[in-house]
Amino acid sequence: MEGIKTTAVFFSNSSRGDSDLIDIPEIINYTEKLIKVNSVWLQDDINIYSPELVSRKIRKDNIRRIVIAGQNPGMYKSLFAKAIVLAGFSPDDVILASFPEHGALIKSDTEWAKAIVACAVNNIPFENATLTEEISVNPNTLVIGGGIAGIQASLEIAASKNKVYLVEKSGTIGGHMAMFDKTFPTLDCAACILTPKMVEVGQHQYIELMTYSEVKEIRGIPGDYKVKILKKARRMSLSKCIGCGVCAEKCPVKTPSEFDSKTTLRKAAYIPFPQAVPNKYMIDESVCTYVASGKCGICAKVCPVPGCINLDEKDEIVEVNVGNIIVAIGFKTFDASKFEQFGYGRFPNVLTSLELERLINASGPTGGKIARRIQDKKGNWIFSPEEVYSPKSVAIIHCIGSRDENHNKYCSKVCCMYSLKLAHLLKEKLPDSEINEYYIDIRAYGKGYEEFYNRIKEEGVNIIRGRPAKVEMYGNELIVRCEDIEGAAMIEQKVDMVILAVGTEPAADARDIAGKLGISVDRDGWFNELNYIGDPVSTLSSGIMIAGVCQGPKDIPDSVAQASAAASRVLQSISKGTIRKSVKTLSVEQIEKRSQELSKILEEKL
Amino acid sequence: MSQRVNLDLKKELFLYGAKEWNQCFQCGNCTATCHTTENGFFFPRKTVRQVLMGLKKSLQTNIDPWLCTYCGDCSRTCPRDANPAEMMMSIRRYLISVYDWTGISKLFYKSKTLEVTSIIVLSIIVMVLYLIYTTFPSGDSSQWIGPDGGALINKMAPWQTIHLGDWLMAGALVFLVITNIFYMWYKIIYDDKSLKVGFIDYLKPFSKLVKLINPDVKYAKCDEKKLTTYWVLHAFLALSYGTLFAIIVFFLDWFQTDTVYPFLHPQRILGYIATIGLTVGIIYFYTNRTLKNMENSKYSHFTDWTFLILLFFTTLTGILLHVFRIYGLPQLTYVTYMLHLMVLVPMLVIEVPFSKWSHMIYRPFALYFAHLKKMVIEKSKTIPHQPQYN
Ligand SMILES: Cc1cc2nc3c(=O)[nH]c(=O)nc-3n(C[C@H](O)[C@H](O)[C@H](O)COP(=O)(O)OP(=O)(O)OC[C@H]3O[C@@H](n4cnc5c(N)ncnc54)[C@H](O)[C@@H]3O)c2cc1C
Ligand code: SF4
Ligand code: SF4
Ligand code: SF4
Ligand code: SF4
Repeated sequence: MEGIKTTAVFFSNSSRGDSDLIDIPEIINYTEKLIKVNSVWLQDDINIYSPELVSRKIRKDNIRRIVIAGQNPGMYKSLFAKAIVLAGFSPDDVILASFPEHGALIKSDTEWAKAIVACAVNNIPFENATLTEEISVNPNTLVIGGGIAGIQASLEIAASKNKVYLVEKSGTIGGHMAMFDKTFPTLDCAACILTPKMVEVGQHQYIELMTYSEVKEIRGIPGDYKVKILKKARRMSLSKCIGCGVCAEKCPVKTPSEFDSKTTLRKAAYIPFPQAVPNKYMIDESVCTYVASGKCGICAKVCPVPGCINLDEKDEIVEVNVGNIIVAIGFKTFDASKFEQFGYGRFPNVLTSLELERLINASGPTGGKIARRIQDKKGNWIFSPEEVYSPKSVAIIHCIGSRDENHNKYCSKVCCMYSLKLAHLLKEKLPDSEINEYYIDIRAYGKGYEEFYNRIKEEGVNIIRGRPAKVEMYGNELIVRCEDIEGAAMIEQKVDMVILAVGTEPAADARDIAGKLGISVDRDGWFNELNYIGDPVSTLSSGIMIAGVCQGPKDIPDSVAQASAAASRVLQSISKGTIRKSVKTLSVEQIEKRSQELSKILEEKL
Repeated sequence: MSQRVNLDLKKELFLYGAKEWNQCFQCGNCTATCHTTENGFFFPRKTVRQVLMGLKKSLQTNIDPWLCTYCGDCSRTCPRDANPAEMMMSIRRYLISVYDWTGISKLFYKSKTLEVTSIIVLSIIVMVLYLIYTTFPSGDSSQWIGPDGGALINKMAPWQTIHLGDWLMAGALVFLVITNIFYMWYKIIYDDKSLKVGFIDYLKPFSKLVKLINPDVKYAKCDEKKLTTYWVLHAFLALSYGTLFAIIVFFLDWFQTDTVYPFLHPQRILGYIATIGLTVGIIYFYTNRTLKNMENSKYSHFTDWTFLILLFFTTLTGILLHVFRIYGLPQLTYVTYMLHLMVLVPMLVIEVPFSKWSHMIYRPFALYFAHLKKMVIEKSKTIPHQPQYN
């Protein structure tokens, strides 16, 4: 043995000076005290262009192993591998300690990042040092969120005859996918895939569906959670309602329909959409006059089933015991009115992509006709089904709210593809119209995606590189001002309709749910996974999995795959009968000690 | 046109004040936002691209940054916070140093120490010359006071003497400015082999004289309303400055008199209005730059401050000089006059040909050249092929 202080730890600079990033100086302090650490190197100490100089440093300081720690350590691996070989040692002794890979992303994860460095310094895989003991598991599972991800996960688990409680916030399951007509890249009918699954959930004997419900409180430990669920009063009986719709017909109160992206109105007594699961009517307490003032009650009078409508029904709290939890609460779309320059909210024919999805859909506000809004006699802007008003030209603007330092910095990943899909569907319904897509970069990764992109180009959609600066309205015409970068021209395009490809954002109550579950969210608000590469469905809490867009932007195939993976993780613990204790029960000191012990055992064996 | 990629260009521009340019992902938002964009002038994106790619030659002959009025619209909406507007400002500083064939401007922009040292050295030279060629009011103080109670300034520092100095200085400045503009023309018009400019073409831009004289008319199209105030005060300041400059160089005998004229005399009225213009301007720009409340005052290069500080002291000593003279305080008048010259001369000699001030001359010429270029291109009808990356 040539002494034990032979490890150097290199810290790569974290990106731009963000205050909520991991506290590097504190970790450096900690690292310097670790027994095996000889020296800590910072970016300024190292000439990253010269392996020769680094190798000289290695020999001078008597270094045998190098740990690269930081946000993106892989970037420096080749430099240090070269340097250590030049110094006469093995490249295997360059070890990466990636913070994001093991779930350390923001300032509050600083302690966790210390543990990551400690394991790397002791040359023990993080997963091995953080193995916890097994405890017994309750075979019931809670799934939060009934979008495609939540549905898929529930069905997978229920198929093994284990009980699932599926809690959905709105009156129906289905999530965003239920709103679409077709899905990219296959252009399959969305409902044809989704509706059978929804119906199966509704009928499955192992799934207890709780719609219009929210998780109130979660106590307990992995394997044994006690969950309080708030079942909001539907005021109409799930068992008695026959779905005749008379109540809705007679209800005098109108409010924008969430399902139609607020392009249409629904009643206070309503069903979210005709194929909703459960296929029952309900009352929206936030607008119902009876709930507000005790007057009205028309629905109860007209309902043909006695005792079906109970306007005085109260919210109820149920408590369930589960061993595992899958969170799949999805996303919300970016609020396009934050971009004043595009006039959303001011110009009636500037729509979001989600609104266009509804317009294209046969069950949407215009029965699938692509219509423009015109002013009716009373001066209200309404979608006109008349042929003459169908748009002759449409502009689709990409990256609304995404890849933008002033809004969301990340790429929303699905908007390029769904914009291409929407362009295709528009072209299909309006073959003579001119469709222009304005993009910054086209992100068409994945199986069949690039081909899809090429196909859309061949269909005659104008794909223009350049981000428009503004949309202006003159009379009924919209004008998009943009630099066509590849065509080297300034364009001021007259169009009838502008579609804003809004990005995805974490669901409204993501942070709240994370707090209740004791899991963390990253800077943007997406749920943190345990290991971004190796274990993207687990969280720091071993009984809690994440699936779908709530973990980060993704499309339907990826959401489904991740949901199945989460379900398999749950089934693993159910079939074993035990689950590991949460790694969060371990402290930095414990992990450090564990990795030291393991490394001692390893060294003795060698 | 092939050219070498210059990797040091980016680093160099940092010294001229460029910020975060590396963030740009070439989306074209800035070009589309900019009110000065027309077909043929795709900027600022294209200009930012030249920096990103290190196309030094293209950048040096690029005229577009001079069209920018720093309205800030592009920076406000840039999705990458790449600060295209400040980039244009930095490139204008850079271009000032490019047009200056003596190379002195470059040194001043890059080194604060050098600029400050030069100012001090010049000040001292001025002081020495002043002390040699003028007379200190000593002995019986009443002989230095005129019949109407004012200090006899022309007895201490005769306007003829000062005028001589003015002319020497002005001559040097005019020479530098003219040769610099010639060099600018050489780089922008002459060197561009794709342009065929006939003699008549040089007259054509004058048909658009209004646009040339008043580039900022275009501010009207911008989003930020505060810019109107900005523009009015900027124009007032420039006008006051120009007026005083002209008076001092050409009509000093009319301005620097021993007689104290009544308050409403044109000499005094003119002086007061110009002084108000300077004072209000200085206060406004000073607050803007400290509060950083507008896009165009968010970032300040040290040369911006030097100019403002020198201008402030010139104005201050000017006001004091006037007060001391009127109230018949010969000694103080003498000393303040010296101090006044000690800031005024460095301000002119350093700022006019080599720094901030020179934009007052370059910008109209740049606009002139830009219109010239555009008209020549339009005449040949074929809009030249615009390669995507330069
Ligand atoms: C305009 C548009 C078009 C798209 N087109 C396509 C396409 O063609 N092909 C494709 O592959 N992908 C497409 N996508 C992406 C697709 O929508 C998502 O990948 C998919 O919907 C993700 O499903 P999810 O279950 O994760 O989330 P969601 O669909 O958002 O479902 C989440 C569910 O959780 C519920 N929920 C939220 N909060 C709570 C809570 N606190 N408690 C209980 N329940 C809660 C919600 O009500 C919702 O039902 C598109 C996206 C958009 C915006
Ligand atoms: S009580 Fe009246 S307002 Fe409320 S849902 Fe029934 S009909 Fe509508
Ligand atoms: S997927 Fe496309 S449109 Fe969406 S944010 Fe990414 S690049 Fe922009
Ligand atoms: S400077 Fe900003 S707005 Fe201009 S092209 Fe670059 S990223 Fe886009
Ligand atoms: S600051 Fe204004 S004038 Fe200058 S480039 Fe930007 S948008 Fe154009």
